[in-house]
Amino acid sequence: MDAALPVSSDAALTLSVRGLSVSFRDGGAQVPALEDVSFDLHAGEVLALVGESGSGKSLTALAIMGLLPGGARVDRGTVLLESCDLVSLGPREMTCIRGDRMSMIFQEPMTSLNPVLTIGRQLTEGLEIHLGIAVATASARAVELLRLVGIPSPERRMREYPHQLSGGMRQRVMIAMAIACDPKLIIADEPTTALDVSIQAQIIAVLAEIRARLGTAILLITHDLGVVAEMADRVAVLYSGRVVEVAEAEALFDAPRHPYTQGLLSAMPRLDWLAAEGPRTRLAEIAGVVPSLRDRPDGCSFWPRCPLATEQCRREVPPLISTSDGRVAACWVRQVAA
Amino acid sequence: MGRFLLRRVLTALATLVVSSFAVCMLIHLIPGDPVMMMMAQNSSPTPEQIARMRHALGLDLPFWLQYFHYMGHVLRGDLGRSIFGSEPVATLLLERLPNTFALAFTGLVLAAGMGMPLGFLAAYKKGTWADSLLMMLAVCGVSIPNFWLGLLLVLLFSLVLGWLPVAGENWASMILPAVTLGLTYMAIIARMTRSSMIEVLNEDYIRTARAKGMPERIVLFRHALKPALISVVTIIAVVFGYLMGGVIVVENVFSWNGLGRLALQAINYRDYPLIQGFILLFATIIVVISLLLDVTYAWLDPRVSVE
Ligand SMILES: Nc1ncnc2c1ncn2[C@@H]1O[C@H](COP(=O)(O)OP(=O)(O)O)[C@@H](O)[C@H]1O
Ligand code: SF4
Ligand SMILES: [Mg+2]
Repeated sequence: MDAALPVSSDAALTLSVRGLSVSFRDGGAQVPALEDVSFDLHAGEVLALVGESGSGKSLTALAIMGLLPGGARVDRGTVLLESCDLVSLGPREMTCIRGDRMSMIFQEPMTSLNPVLTIGRQLTEGLEIHLGIAVATASARAVELLRLVGIPSPERRMREYPHQLSGGMRQRVMIAMAIACDPKLIIADEPTTALDVSIQAQIIAVLAEIRARLGTAILLITHDLGVVAEMADRVAVLYSGRVVEVAEAEALFDAPRHPYTQGLLSAMPRLDWLAAEGPRTRLAEIAGVVPSLRDRPDGCSFWPRCPLATEQCRREVPPLISTSDGRVAACWVRQVAA
Repeated sequence: MGRFLLRRVLTALATLVVSSFAVCMLIHLIPGDPVMMMMAQNSSPTPEQIARMRHALGLDLPFWLQYFHYMGHVLRGDLGRSIFGSEPVATLLLERLPNTFALAFTGLVLAAGMGMPLGFLAAYKKGTWADSLLMMLAVCGVSIPNFWLGLLLVLLFSLVLGWLPVAGENWASMILPAVTLGLTYMAIIARMTRSSMIEVLNEDYIRTARAKGMPERIVLFRHALKPALISVVTIIAVVFGYLMGGVIVVENVFSWNGLGRLALQAINYRDYPLIQGFILLFATIIVVISLLLDVTYAWLDPRVSVE
């Protein structure tokens, strides 16, 4: 039976986002940025969050982390981390959860580490705060973490400052910091975008290794369909602040359901996405532009660019529903009618 | 670190050479014959006396040699003699130096001691009424001339309340001039600290610290304070230059017996050797203190000190 995305009671569910809506204050008005974002992430799973630039991927990540920028706020929705609703928590409680049960890796390794603190300090402080362990123990564990993410001569690196490390090494340090307290969830926001192509594959390999060894659930935000094909179990597609499709990675590549997903994938041959080596493919350009937040059209936000758009599409927002064939998408033509 | 320091020391030396050259040439700005000007006390100097003075000042040398002549004396500690009173300029300056140093130092400590915490607070409370109030006061502080503020303080604390002396030589009489300096430059430091702290709080690494679950206290004091302090140190180096200018004014408003007061007297009497010595000493103080602050900066910032 077709149904709106149910509230799941699965025990292996690490993260469950339901109806998450975020808006920005713009003058006196609130401009909606995320609308009704919903998806699940199971233990040990990698969910790729894809979408064009400006579609709200980072905002989703920051909303989950409780780190929304000034002016942004969560209007509705729940974010369950192992059945604890993060949206309803106060700042103090969030501080205890961040870095301990969930952590985040950012896009810009060059600026994301504190330039005046040693690598060692930046690694041990989380261990001290969350695990309450002594400095010496924390240092030993930090060295171990650096070794785990493939940093050579970790003892020496502990005493160094970020500017003494390359971009790839800094991103490894960010990963080490993220896994320090053995979190249930890691959010990686385009962790390779700012790096040299030759380094990107190494960082992805480190993340894959982390998932394999620690079984951490990873929300992987990426532009890179090669990375999606390589690492993701499932994919959520974001368009203009709304989730338009969620599917198993293979099913999505085989038979994309939503017209936007089809547009994204159509430009490139399948072999390209699955090639483990070789140049990374970016999301294909689709004719037209992503609507800005202020003039998002009524109805389905994709209709001005959609070849299948009907009169209903222009009036009503299609709900994100799961069909009996196990597909989750938001489209009047391809999903509701299917 | 070594190269950074070498560069700064060389810059400092170059600054001193340029300013000493300007000081040496100052004597040529005297309208008329500087020697006659300097011998104005002597009603009818003999030609020999004039020639001796000309020789003593090195004015009989070719233009380009005059600087070396002047610096030769300066480096031996000989800044010439005051025209009025004919005491050695160096002695006069050294007598007043401790007074000026005490005043400037106290003023700077007050300015930084109040300005930095207020700036940090305003940055942390950015956009709230507390921030607006603090910055409004800072604007007042920046725009009120220090001599006027000084006079107001004298009026209130000395004449109306009678708590503090109007002028004098003891510590109590330093309070008002030091507070005047402190308030004036506190405002600049508070504003600059606020903007550098706001910049730091917007940095990606602050977001990283929060993503790590660092409590707000650690985010502020471990992650934000040091980078912000580093830029504040360079700010203070700049403010110190302004403050030394303010010292001259404030000393005269409060009749504080320091170099600034001496300088004004020297200017009134057209005591050129004394003016020269004063400028040279002031330039040296500013250059040396700036150098010290640069060293502090390099020591604080691992990006400079590690290589
Ligand atoms: N600080 C902000 N103020 C106002 N709008 C913002 C801000 N940050 C992001 N946005 C808006 O939110 C939307 C989503 O941004 P973002 O999540 O960064 O996109 P993505 O990560 O997918 O490229 C963008 O359209 C952007 O205009
Ligand atoms: S709802 Fe309509 S406009 Fe939107 S994607 Fe589906 S067919 Fe296209
Ligand atoms: Mg982004």
